[in-house]
Amino acid sequence: MTSDAELIGKSLDGDGEAFVELICRHERAIGAYLTRRVGREAAEDLLGEVWVAAFESRSTYDRAYPEARPWLYGVALNKMRRHWRSRPAEDPVPDATSLANGWDPWSAVDARVDTQSVLRSVLARLQPEEREVLTLVAWEDLTVADAARALGMPAGTARRLLHQARTALRTAPEVAALLTNANV
Amino acid sequence: MIMDEMDLVGQLKEVPPLRPEAYERARTMLGTAMAQTGTMRVAAPARKEKPGWVRNFRLGLMGKVGIGAVGAAAVAAVVVSVGTSGVSPAPSSGTTAEAPPVGSKLVSLAADVKATDGTLPGDASLVIRNRTAPDGKPYITYNLYTDKGAEYVSETKAELSAAVAHDDNLADPVDAKEIAAARDAAKGDLNKARQDMVNAVPNGWGLGLGPAEAQAAWDKSEAERVRILKMKGVADAQPRPRPTGKGMDGYINNSLWVNSLNALTRGAANAQVRAGVLRLISTIPDVTVEETTSDGQAALALTAGPAIFGGTGGQVLTINAKTGLPISSVAKPGPGEKPMPADTYKSARVTVADIKAGKF
Repeated sequence: MTSDAELIGKSLDGDGEAFVELICRHERAIGAYLTRRVGREAAEDLLGEVWVAAFESRSTYDRAYPEARPWLYGVALNKMRRHWRSRPAEDPVPDATSLANGWDPWSAVDARVDTQSVLRSVLARLQPEEREVLTLVAWEDLTVADAARALGMPAGTARRLLHQARTALRTAPEVAALLTNANV
Repeated sequence: MIMDEMDLVGQLKEVPPLRPEAYERARTMLGTAMAQTGTMRVAAPARKEKPGWVRNFRLGLMGKVGIGAVGAAAVAAVVVSVGTSGVSPAPSSGTTAEAPPVGSKLVSLAADVKATDGTLPGDASLVIRNRTAPDGKPYITYNLYTDKGAEYVSETKAELSAAVAHDDNLADPVDAKEIAAARDAAKGDLNKARQDMVNAVPNGWGLGLGPAEAQAAWDKSEAERVRILKMKGVADAQPRPRPTGKGMDGYINNSLWVNSLNALTRGAANAQVRAGVLRLISTIPDVTVEETTSDGQAALALTAGPAIFGGTGGQVLTINAKTGLPISSVAKPGPGEKPMPADTYKSARVTVADIKAGKF
């Protein structure tokens, strides 16, 4: 199968269909990524902007990497940052508290054991870069190295941030309690 | 197995898929951007396999087909002769429109289907749609349309039950408008229903308005389009003249076809919706009907010709010749395009309670 890098190369040579094939490969993953972070409605609005931004910046793609998904996550993250910045000042929404809004699979669960809101709360307390690395690894199944690619940082930095994030989570009393209950 | 903090965070991972229309819209936006570069070889404006609006999704045709001859004064609504069906003027606000081929197989079938309409079992329709993804693998979606207007979509049976349980309702107001237009078409006011079906999706054509109002609607729509394009950095974006004549007919017929198929997909198990959709499609001059068979069952192949799709390609909808139930849909490639695999449908009446309980 033609690699993502080869499709981008073909696109740069003027083959528009190659780029469409590229986004067809990754649209579900990127759509889910956006949904987790900004909710489905905004994700549906942003997806096209992500493709346009990726198309416009494809000349910067490092074709040494055959797999483009981490790069697309990075493009999507930039779009989401712009989206967050554009929200009204009176509605400041930290990125982690808007996680997956519009989809609350545990809404019917007794609030006393609302694990989801506990986790959201703890994630919101992480440093943004810690949170980005953590969620790219936990939700998008990226390796730490690929998460680093998506975020444009050295792999060592991403490993450190992931370690910090995991430590912060483990030591948070709420998370510790959840883990204790889960592992009884 | 010991759960750690990563496992806990992973529990927040599950989200519903974006609606299929959202992927189409995103591809369309990309196609527009690519076309604006003027340097890309793109067989289709929006996606590799076919323009989004060729399929039975709700996407406008605006900006995707060339505009025909422009006549500044040629925007008067036209009364169209429609033969002996008792159907009153067609809603086209273009300069011309052709008479619906009343008495066609579709109209006959619509009458038969409507005659079978009765109390339906269950309180929802389940449509299992099987497509082929770009990587060649089957892509199945489970679509539940309740009689109350809710819509749940998933990629697995289990997810559909969960979506119902958590009321992840994806219904769009447009869906209800299309279903209502189809029902109205079955009742007899075909021209009003035709206009409502086209207008179910907002457009700038001013269908059903007088000449001045129609032009004003178009101007407003174009101003908004230009505003958005300029926000995207297209500095020289200009409003386009309102299409007329066959150009306008192409827009309207495309919208009528796409929206009708959308209603048929959603209301497949409802005989009145099927009958209405058949009547609506019978008014599109560029749709031909042929008798065929599909898996041994008598079927009709409804072929929407290139005129409906900007002059290239087409789409074939195959329906059961006795019930009007959709069997499959396949986009016909234009010159130089690859053949497309078919979408196939299975429809059934069900109860929401059974779906929620996983009994299906």
